[in-house]
Amino acid sequence: MKKYSQTTAEIGDFSKLPLLQKYALADLLYVAYGLLIVALVLVSYILGMFDLLPHDPQQINMGLLMAPPASGGYLLGTDFMGRDILSRLIVGIQAYFLPGLLAISISLTGGVVLGILSGYWGGKLETVITYFTNLVDSFPRLVLILLVIAAFKPDIYYIMVVMGITGVPTVATAIANKIRFLAQKSFIEAALALGLHARVIIFKHILWYNCRALLIIQATLGMGEAILLETSLSYLGFGVQEPVPSWGNMVQSGANYFLQGNFWPSTAPALAILFTILGFNLLGDGLNNILEDRRGR
Amino acid sequence: MIASPLRVITYNLIKELGLAILLLLGVSFVVFVILYAAPGDQFSVLLEGQLPTEEARAGIREALGVAQSWYGQYFSWLLGVLSGNFGTSVRTGLPVAGELFNVSLNTLYLTLGSMLVTLFVAVPIALYSSVRGHSVAISWPLTMLGYVVSALPVFWLGYIAIYISIHNFNFFPLASVSQTSAENGWLYTLVPVLVLGLGSGTISEVIRSLREEMSRVMAEDYVRTARAKGASVWRHAFKEGLLLPVTEIIASKIPFILGGAVIVEQVFGWPGMGRMAWQAAQDRDFPVIMGIVLVAAAFVRLGSLIQRIVCATVNRRGQRD
Repeated sequence: MKKYSQTTAEIGDFSKLPLLQKYALADLLYVAYGLLIVALVLVSYILGMFDLLPHDPQQINMGLLMAPPASGGYLLGTDFMGRDILSRLIVGIQAYFLPGLLAISISLTGGVVLGILSGYWGGKLETVITYFTNLVDSFPRLVLILLVIAAFKPDIYYIMVVMGITGVPTVATAIANKIRFLAQKSFIEAALALGLHARVIIFKHILWYNCRALLIIQATLGMGEAILLETSLSYLGFGVQEPVPSWGNMVQSGANYFLQGNFWPSTAPALAILFTILGFNLLGDGLNNILEDRRGR
Repeated sequence: MIASPLRVITYNLIKELGLAILLLLGVSFVVFVILYAAPGDQFSVLLEGQLPTEEARAGIREALGVAQSWYGQYFSWLLGVLSGNFGTSVRTGLPVAGELFNVSLNTLYLTLGSMLVTLFVAVPIALYSSVRGHSVAISWPLTMLGYVVSALPVFWLGYIAIYISIHNFNFFPLASVSQTSAENGWLYTLVPVLVLGLGSGTISEVIRSLREEMSRVMAEDYVRTARAKGASVWRHAFKEGLLLPVTEIIASKIPFILGGAVIVEQVFGWPGMGRMAWQAAQDRDFPVIMGIVLVAAAFVRLGSLIQRIVCATVNRRGQRD
């Protein structure tokens, strides 16, 4: 037992922990908070899918309008129609979860392909790809999405395809820069000297060994952006329509009661948006500092 | 042969200008293709209910100039745009160009004002924490604040601002109301500008990139030399440490700020491009939305052109790509 009863000063000195000697405390906290949020979103999404909710999100309770949190059996209170806010928040995750994944996968796939083409082969192809990325970057994302809504219909999957395409330049630039950086390294030179196929070098040595972290980071940040976009659009009335809940339309419909002093129905979803996007952004930046810039300590 | 600096700058600028024109042509083409691929055309909503037979509708379309081949439509539209004719709005029947001009001035006011707000908040914080605040106690709360602000939904921030201005300052900051009551009307417009400047999420990016650049420049040899001989550190570090990163980040954030403007305009009823685009998206008003996307893209390109000019004049040899 002697071994474990060392002085509290020694135990309390957290900077001696191996993890903390390697990484900054702030980054570890960011990642921990981010992972917590991701887990929360995942669990809530699954609960919502199987209808394991505290209340029916559409159930109107006229006797208990705009109840404060933790009253009358409603953990987060009720909205202006007496519907349970917690259940509506959980179901609201469905509005962005799968569409967001679609947008991320389009950005990542397109970004990887274009990034490799311009970073590994370069030349004329690079000029064309730079033109394409500049072209996509010339469109304000939300305005382009309004154009697509005018042309087709306000369908979240169309919107997320556009969102995915507008996310391609960021990923492509990151991958291309990474490849240009790696190209000076001796292991790529060695692989070339060994006569390895370009396919092996690209997929194994570049993508799998060296771009995994970068892609995870981009996916995390992309999810944050997707949530911001979906909530903005459903706030504007182009996303999920009432009575089906999404966080954006919950803020919007609660806003009418905001000016009367009933803050909670629109503040609860706004806080959900804030904490979730914060989680994804902190996770991405924390992972970036830990996995990519190993300058930390 | 060593070219004179001025010549290099002009050469680079002409190249940038050419690229901007090429990109705007590309934008116009993409816009056209998306709308051409759309099911039905801009007149289908108008015509389906009104005219019973296909022939009658086709006749109207021919009279309106739809029945050309796709490239014919594209070039006639493009030529119209180049001569300042953006077509007529399907909803109101008025020419798009005039309304677009007024509306884009309003949006320009909103976005430029919000950029100033962003800079007024972000630059002091970034400078302070890069020059003085290497301690965690100062920089960490500021970093955290930046993250929180950039994750905050800007529409909710807008409602809070409206609530506060009604209850504490006793005025109603909705633009459509304020512009009719002329006295001190501009004061009311400050609220949306503040909300967009604080809530668009640009603040954290400006702080982050400016702090990095400034810390890097402060560690450079020439700044150390300037300090050693008692010259102004500020003057030596200004161009590379402040001017370049600020123009760069602002130019790259223009699309994002314009997107934020769509939402802020909706919250405050601000008669700008974003609100017009929102209306056009609901009505399938193709000429209007086409014009708005073009003007918005022109803003973006203009921003990056200005950034290149600043870059080229600061860095005479134009080494920065």
